[in-house]
Amino acid sequence: MADLKSLEHPTLKVPYEILNKKFRAAQKNIDREVSHIQIDANELESCLKKNAPLGDVSRVLDGVVEKLTIMKRKAEESILDEVQAARVCKRRIEHLKDYETLSPTAANQWQKKRLDRMLVEYFLRAGYYSSAIKLANQSNIEDLINIELFLVAKEVEDTLAKGDTSKCLAWFHDNKSKLRKMQSTLEFNLREQEFIELVRANRRLDAVKHARKYFVDLNDNQLCGVQKAMGLLAYPVNTEVPAYKELLEPSRWQRLVQQFRQENFKVYQLNSHSVFTVTLQAGLSALKTPQCYKDDGLSKNPECPVCSSHMNRLARKLPFAHSAQSKLICSISGRPLNEHNPPLMLPNGHVYGCDSLHEMAEEHEGRIVCPRTKQIFTLDEVEKVYVM
Amino acid sequence: MDACGAVEKEIDKVLTKFDDIRRNSSTTIDDLLNHVNNIRREIEDGGTSGTINPGQAILLSQTVKRIQDSLGHVSADHKDLHGNVSKVGKAIDRNFVSDFNSVCNETAFAKEEQTSEINQVICEHFLRQGMLDIAESLVEESGLEIHDQQIEPFLELHRILEALKQHNLSPALHWAQAHRNELTHHRSSLEFKLLRLNFIDLVSQGVAKQQEALHFARNFAPFASSHTKELQVLMGTLLYLRQGLDSSPYRHLLDPIHWVDICDVFTREACTLLGLSMESALSVIVKAGCAALPPLLTIKQVMLQRQCSGVWSAKDELPVEIDIGVDCRFHSIFACPILKQQSNDSNPPVRLICGHVISRDALQKLANGNKVKCPYCPVEQAPSDARQIFF
Repeated sequence: MADLKSLEHPTLKVPYEILNKKFRAAQKNIDREVSHIQIDANELESCLKKNAPLGDVSRVLDGVVEKLTIMKRKAEESILDEVQAARVCKRRIEHLKDYETLSPTAANQWQKKRLDRMLVEYFLRAGYYSSAIKLANQSNIEDLINIELFLVAKEVEDTLAKGDTSKCLAWFHDNKSKLRKMQSTLEFNLREQEFIELVRANRRLDAVKHARKYFVDLNDNQLCGVQKAMGLLAYPVNTEVPAYKELLEPSRWQRLVQQFRQENFKVYQLNSHSVFTVTLQAGLSALKTPQCYKDDGLSKNPECPVCSSHMNRLARKLPFAHSAQSKLICSISGRPLNEHNPPLMLPNGHVYGCDSLHEMAEEHEGRIVCPRTKQIFTLDEVEKVYVM
Repeated sequence: MDACGAVEKEIDKVLTKFDDIRRNSSTTIDDLLNHVNNIRREIEDGGTSGTINPGQAILLSQTVKRIQDSLGHVSADHKDLHGNVSKVGKAIDRNFVSDFNSVCNETAFAKEEQTSEINQVICEHFLRQGMLDIAESLVEESGLEIHDQQIEPFLELHRILEALKQHNLSPALHWAQAHRNELTHHRSSLEFKLLRLNFIDLVSQGVAKQQEALHFARNFAPFASSHTKELQVLMGTLLYLRQGLDSSPYRHLLDPIHWVDICDVFTREACTLLGLSMESALSVIVKAGCAALPPLLTIKQVMLQRQCSGVWSAKDELPVEIDIGVDCRFHSIFACPILKQQSNDSNPPVRLICGHVISRDALQKLANGNKVKCPYCPVEQAPSDARQIFF
């Protein structure tokens, strides 16, 4: 099942990352509740020490009971969240495992589902959200694809495109630990953009306040950026100085969208290309032969996908399949030429399968018409061909 | 151990641990709640003086300690799960390939026009499967241009497929009977398969439908010689009407997969009659791609270690041979057994008089003056006697 190994990493890794995130969130929730109770417990202790009146003690005890109840609920909810995330992983792995034990017909259906899964992901990456949701729904694969991730991303991208950083900053905060580890510059870039927008709106004093608040502990690279951004304060909004004009370009928002997209993929270890396009390229190459590009009207095969016009153009830049062994088929029947269907040569040099020639001879009273040259021969004129 | 199994083992561990922790934490907290409530009641009942007596104070400080200990455990236990959770991630990374960008040709699909070609291909794929709504939604979202004439032939297909999905065979049967001549010409067994499903449907309803089933069986007459074996099986089911097919040796016939399969069979036949290829080009290519990616990824690994150039650049051919099965062979490839190279127009295959085939370049290399000995048998001949052949 080598294809599972090479294709299904994102199917499992994304729900795992979600599980991991849920785990951290749950730990945080539990620790927070524990520390709340801790405070009450400490208070109780100090009450005891100073021999406080009974009323105080029972009030503190009330607090403890209340907080324990809250903790019970929160812990339950958080753990349930984690369990659900883990179940998603489990469901996907079960679906993948099925592939190994299926009957041929069922395996076909499985492969069809796989194609649909790939297409949904491709749609999502291309931004065809409603097609993606419809297809996921119809072929019943909602559990198996990372649709949620893309819908969240869509929301962030939409708000960014409108010049609003809030959703993206919230997203950054949500995935802070991972992004920090990746040394992401996204947060800085967002803050810088906010600064530029304040300047653009001519709220220069606010801009300075903003800078004071957010442009702290920077690395060398960012320092340069800040210096340049601060320089903007001295220029009018319609400046023609190239360095500052560039800062005021609205296209910078588009770049933020791009950066967000890439970092979002990185957080979930997704590749920058969809599984679908990579598979499509590999498949086109594996099937591409020089015959698919010969325009003599004889070489193309209507059943060959690479010979069909769209695919033909798509495969143009891709390499051909490599073959150190002959792989021959009979161009009449499409069946392989081998010891059961040995190749036979007509006097004009064209080679066809034994089965096809005999069938043709039977149907046409012993005559054989070469389908490519329309010459007519008889069966006893054919000669054997040995291909090693 | 296989990839899926390894990951599943880790996931199962995590799931059981989560179950444990859920139970433990809730019992721990419940115990604490009970305990605190009890103490509160005790203090309030026993307290008349308005202050805490020394006995109660000890009890309370023990409670404080107990709360701190137990909750510390809950938190620590949960934290301990981190190891298990991250093992799942490691198992996934170890057993599945995370980075296939290396086998992706960045430039080949980069242009706008290629995106539109891809969308066109996807659209055709859905049209031929009768999934018109998805095709339409894709056209709308991707701004693809498609004419009504392109969709029209698929409308009937769509209608029949929808009926098949509802387990309604009659539109498909009508269609198959209307096109019987063309279908027999293609050696198609679509009609037989439809009739068979219909028959099984009747038989599965038990004795009540016995008469109807027997009557229906007459429809099989035209297929008596071509599908003898299958017909025998079908008639065999009649023996088990009373006890039900579920518990008979024929229960495999009831598998719902047959209903899904018939949709594919029908689509294939209908598309062939429409002059399209039998299989969807997209699914054939993706299937081939799924077979091709593993060896490409492996060779890429090797090439990286030896610092060779990329998978896609080397002399316009993939670096490895990929076996995609006999079903996916659409053109004859002749590779010269002497030169181990694919033949082409400038170096075509030639047949020696003994019948062995080599490439013309190989023939010239083997020739010694005006004589050449076949590399596979003792026959000697003049090189000019060899003749070009066409596969």
